[in-house]
Amino acid sequence: MLKKAMFCLAVLLFAGVCLSARADDLEFRKVYKLKPAMSVDEIMKISEHVQYTLFANDYQSTGNVLYVEKSGATRTRKFLRQRIILGPDSLRPEYRYKDLVMFTQPTMVKGLGILTWSYNDLDKVQNQWLWLPSLKKVRKVSAAQADDSFMGSDFTTEEITTRRFEDETFKLLSEEKFKGGFSEIDAKSYYQGRDCYKIECRPKRDPWYYSKRLTWIDKEFGSTIYDEVYDPNGKLYKTILKRYEILQVNGKDYPTQVFLEVKDLRTGHKTGIVMDDIKFDQGLSEGLFTVKSLMRSRW
Amino acid sequence: MKKTVFLSVLFAFLIFPITVFAGEIGDDLEYAGYLKTELWLKNYNDEAHQSLSAFKNTFDIGLESKFSDAWAFFFHPRYFYDAAYGIRNDFDSNFDKNQDKMGHTQRTEWLRDCYLDYFSDKLDIRLGKQQVVWGQADGLPFMDRVMPFDLTTYWLPDFADIRIPLWMLKAEYSPRLNSTLQFLLIPDFEASRSAPHNAPFSFSANNAWEGFKPVNRNYGGSAQTLIYRPAKKLKNSRVGLRWRSMMGDLEYTLNWLYGYSTSAYTFTDSFTAAIPDTSFGDYIVSRRHKLTHLAGFTFNKSFVDPGLFKDWTLRGEFIYVHNQPTYYGTDGSRKKTELTDNYAYLLGFDKNFFTNWQFSAQFYQFITNDRTWDTYQVLNAYTYGVMDKVENGLTCKIATDFMHERLKPEVLIIYSDDNDGRISLKTKYELKDNLWLGCGYHHFWGPPRGSNGQYRNNDHAFFDVTYTF
Repeated sequence: MLKKAMFCLAVLLFAGVCLSARADDLEFRKVYKLKPAMSVDEIMKISEHVQYTLFANDYQSTGNVLYVEKSGATRTRKFLRQRIILGPDSLRPEYRYKDLVMFTQPTMVKGLGILTWSYNDLDKVQNQWLWLPSLKKVRKVSAAQADDSFMGSDFTTEEITTRRFEDETFKLLSEEKFKGGFSEIDAKSYYQGRDCYKIECRPKRDPWYYSKRLTWIDKEFGSTIYDEVYDPNGKLYKTILKRYEILQVNGKDYPTQVFLEVKDLRTGHKTGIVMDDIKFDQGLSEGLFTVKSLMRSRW
Repeated sequence: MKKTVFLSVLFAFLIFPITVFAGEIGDDLEYAGYLKTELWLKNYNDEAHQSLSAFKNTFDIGLESKFSDAWAFFFHPRYFYDAAYGIRNDFDSNFDKNQDKMGHTQRTEWLRDCYLDYFSDKLDIRLGKQQVVWGQADGLPFMDRVMPFDLTTYWLPDFADIRIPLWMLKAEYSPRLNSTLQFLLIPDFEASRSAPHNAPFSFSANNAWEGFKPVNRNYGGSAQTLIYRPAKKLKNSRVGLRWRSMMGDLEYTLNWLYGYSTSAYTFTDSFTAAIPDTSFGDYIVSRRHKLTHLAGFTFNKSFVDPGLFKDWTLRGEFIYVHNQPTYYGTDGSRKKTELTDNYAYLLGFDKNFFTNWQFSAQFYQFITNDRTWDTYQVLNAYTYGVMDKVENGLTCKIATDFMHERLKPEVLIIYSDDNDGRISLKTKYELKDNLWLGCGYHHFWGPPRGSNGQYRNNDHAFFDVTYTF
């Protein structure tokens, strides 16, 4: 009996190791699709792969951030974003990706540039430089804290740039047809009836600014299309809608974020980020993601 | 006066209805600019009243034309007019006499940028009028010594607004990733500028000298000031080199600059006493720029690995200036100007706390190689106050934001070991995308001949409105 139990335990452990190894070892520059009977960890790993466009060599888009007050008053920011994906199989295996954001409008923030180097090592924080138009100089800065607002929006920095698979634990709640996510910015409902996995994600940090989030993952491409975020008291306080489109790039289907909308239910404030002119695999040089590039700013 | 006020108000509000942002004309021509109105109120600490010291209206526009991915041209003029001189009804006062030097854009400073850019993987060239900035210090010009400065409002405005741009060649060669060699050739010359006598932020050394002149005249003396500027010739060009690279996460630069100092220094060329054993007599003084070497290095490192210092950023700058003209004398009185060597270094620590509170602290020292010359002691160049061989200082900057980055307050505190310092509070509020409000307060304290203490009776509140397009 004991031998049988030991054997079963060994099989379970082996299977667990295999599963986690598969989940941890997604190759960069490769598109993954969800398959039936995948574990929740595998699903979330693919979701992360999609979010950070780790399937591509590089990424470029223009973006428009809309800050919408409860009253409807709206402010905007426009930016150009470029990213090069590096990863363990690249010439610089310590880096995950390097990211350059340059604000183009409005005039008051025009020229502000943020260069970010993100590492594969989970324990490392990001390296970050700013180009400050008001000082006309580059300034090395400490990376923003994970729970800080991302560019003044209702997103946190973690939600956009730093959250990793390893930061949360996951539980598959159900497979269901999504009820639909309503965008208040363009007054439309999206993804109604879409086949999704509904997953509960709990942060390993405790205490943290959220106690859990419920996320709906599109079954076809593994992208997160909707999040409900709960505060430390377990009360829903934020919803996030993410719209994806499939871009055909060199014969491959790239799931691409084209619109993000977050609503803070406590304040009624909303933030929308619209991505335009999205390009993948342009052959961006790593030399673009250096301090020298920040210094090229004329504004 | 009515006409001046009318023109100022018209100037300030003409563009108010414009609700467009930075725009594009065609695919390759882009423009952006602003119109800003600033009001500065001087607060006399001991007289308990206020006076208007500036009502400054600024028009700024930048035009960028991209010919290709590699080539671009940038043109950026700016002009300001200070209406305070028309508004204040105190003709013939010291304030009013400064209108020519303070009331509008001076010299060639209207042209902020005018250059041609060429970018490639290995080589970037920027040719034309521009600013070059070295170093990363907050609120202090440590390594930031390539450009001359307009110090008519001391070090209070953003440095990009008070650097005086110069025509130059800047070439950046990248032999490998994250390493660049910068070469500067600066045939243009402009002197750093300070406020004239009795302006709100004139240096006390200047005020003392100008105050001494009429007294000296009464005792039969005279004073003649000769100004020598290096000719704008190729042979007088300043030359600079900067190597920037990384060792792991440590980023460093090695810097060298040679040429005429941008600051003019006062030398006494001759003095004949009118009354023996007194300082009354015939003076011939000159303002000269001397050839100096500047060498130094900077570094910064963000601690990205786990450990005690994770999330902290450490910065440092060290400069050595060879042959810097330095004043010697007794407290309040310059007797000699000698060439000596000076050193300065700064260590900075940055970290974000409480989610979005950015905290930055700096410790610095200014070290004069020769504390005394003959029997005289080294003097503060702004005030002629006696300095120590080593002057220590601390700065602290705290910045945050509220309301989705609509409201951005920050405070900068600069403090030196002679209990001399200032606190500068500044807040910006975004009313709309193209309409920003600002306000702040500068409080000074310290001994009368301290760098900041000289303004201890000169606190200023300011308010501004900026319309962008």
